[in-house]
Amino acid sequence: MAPSLLHPPSQLSPAAALQLSQQAPSVLQNSPSTINSSPLAALLPSSETPDLWIKYENLLLSCLRTGDDHAAHQCLERLVARFGNENVRVMALKGLVKEADSQNNGDLEKVLKEYDQILSDNNTNIPITKRRIALLRSMGRLSDAASSLVHLLGFSPTDAEAWSELADIYLVQGMYQQAIYAMEEVLVLAPNAWNAHSSFANTPCDDQVHARLGEMQYMAATAPGAASGTYEKSMVEALKRFSRSIELCDDYLRGYYGLKLVTKKLLKDAAKPAKDSEEIDFSLPDSKTIERLNELATVKLSEIIRRNTAQERGWRGYDKLEVAAARELLAEEASAAASIER
Amino acid sequence: MTWISKTITVLGGILLAHACYSAQEHSSLQSFRAAAASLTSSSTLTATTLPVDIAIETIVATFIIVLGLVSGTRPLRPIQWRVWAGKLEREGAEGFVDNEGEVNKDYVGNPFKNLEMRPGFVDVRRQRREFAEWVKGGGEK
Repeated sequence: MAPSLLHPPSQLSPAAALQLSQQAPSVLQNSPSTINSSPLAALLPSSETPDLWIKYENLLLSCLRTGDDHAAHQCLERLVARFGNENVRVMALKGLVKEADSQNNGDLEKVLKEYDQILSDNNTNIPITKRRIALLRSMGRLSDAASSLVHLLGFSPTDAEAWSELADIYLVQGMYQQAIYAMEEVLVLAPNAWNAHSSFANTPCDDQVHARLGEMQYMAATAPGAASGTYEKSMVEALKRFSRSIELCDDYLRGYYGLKLVTKKLLKDAAKPAKDSEEIDFSLPDSKTIERLNELATVKLSEIIRRNTAQERGWRGYDKLEVAAARELLAEEASAAASIER
Repeated sequence: MTWISKTITVLGGILLAHACYSAQEHSSLQSFRAAAASLTSSSTLTATTLPVDIAIETIVATFIIVLGLVSGTRPLRPIQWRVWAGKLEREGAEGFVDNEGEVNKDYVGNPFKNLEMRPGFVDVRRQRREFAEWVKGGGEK
């Protein structure tokens, strides 16, 4: 199914993005290059629809991604002609095009200075603030980006997107506790977001995986006694979050995948003797519950994989990579079980 | 499925039209007979009611039309959050097509996708790099 121009294109595969940007000439040709924006013209029937501008914006983004700068500039010109240079959204798009055009760090610094200039005139310009943060992150200045984001959230605390970005920035820096905090804020703003529950759950899970790999040495070093406690606490939290995401969304592949991962790990750890468990103020569900959850996840995952692979009607919406990852996880366990039996 | 519902609706319409025509014919016949009766003799006008078969036909026709229309509607959207969300995840855009096979205009996929995509913070330079690498790598899916 061809991707629609009416939806933001950032998550599309390269092939789909290419397909979209190849539509550019026909879209640009089939719509009028200028649209009269005077109030009188609004009385007459015209070809202007809100969809048109969303199309231009998404086309601009796909063209920038695929390197079709000519079409991108054309889209931008039309948007500027309609909405003017002072529109905040158009300003952000202009900045985006400049970022894409810049060849070296000097150009990027210039763009950054322009953003600073715009913000000194109007420091509540949120799209430009976001662009500036994204540019800082893209230039590798993560701590600057994080502090700017915290500042943005200071005056716009209900922006779930910004909280989510903050969580991501903290996560790549390995600051798991801060990332978890930011993700919790996202959940406060969007409590029904099943993917947020899932990615929130991923955070402590990653946390533990990385802790195992020694990437959380700081935490372990500052709190050697609490290390095992935080580990179990995060696992319990992860278990809860994955369960919640499944509760919010039937047959949610990522939720079941995470549930499988966590229960598998917990069952493996259960063999080890637990120490000081009475000091910790959380309760791990008993091993029977965990085993049942594990079984449920296995059953559901294999059902999803089977029906998706058979391309059954109504089961084709899953991401191919996610299905492949789930298959790998199950195969891994199957081979482990076979080796134990032998 | 649609042609069945359309046939049923048309059939009901024909029945209804027939019932209306019968009623009209019946009333004109009655008025003609009343006029003829008043010419020949001065007997009192008998109160005439619609024959019961016409009334039954009208009611049956109405039910058949309603049946046809109801059977022709799209399957209802789920109203439970988790069922709806599960449908989104499981079927993608495919689950939200109308009778013509077009994806509904208001279909947006997972409404919380923005929390992961974050279009306001898009890193266009990295996207360009990745796309260039994809093209260099032969452009497989």
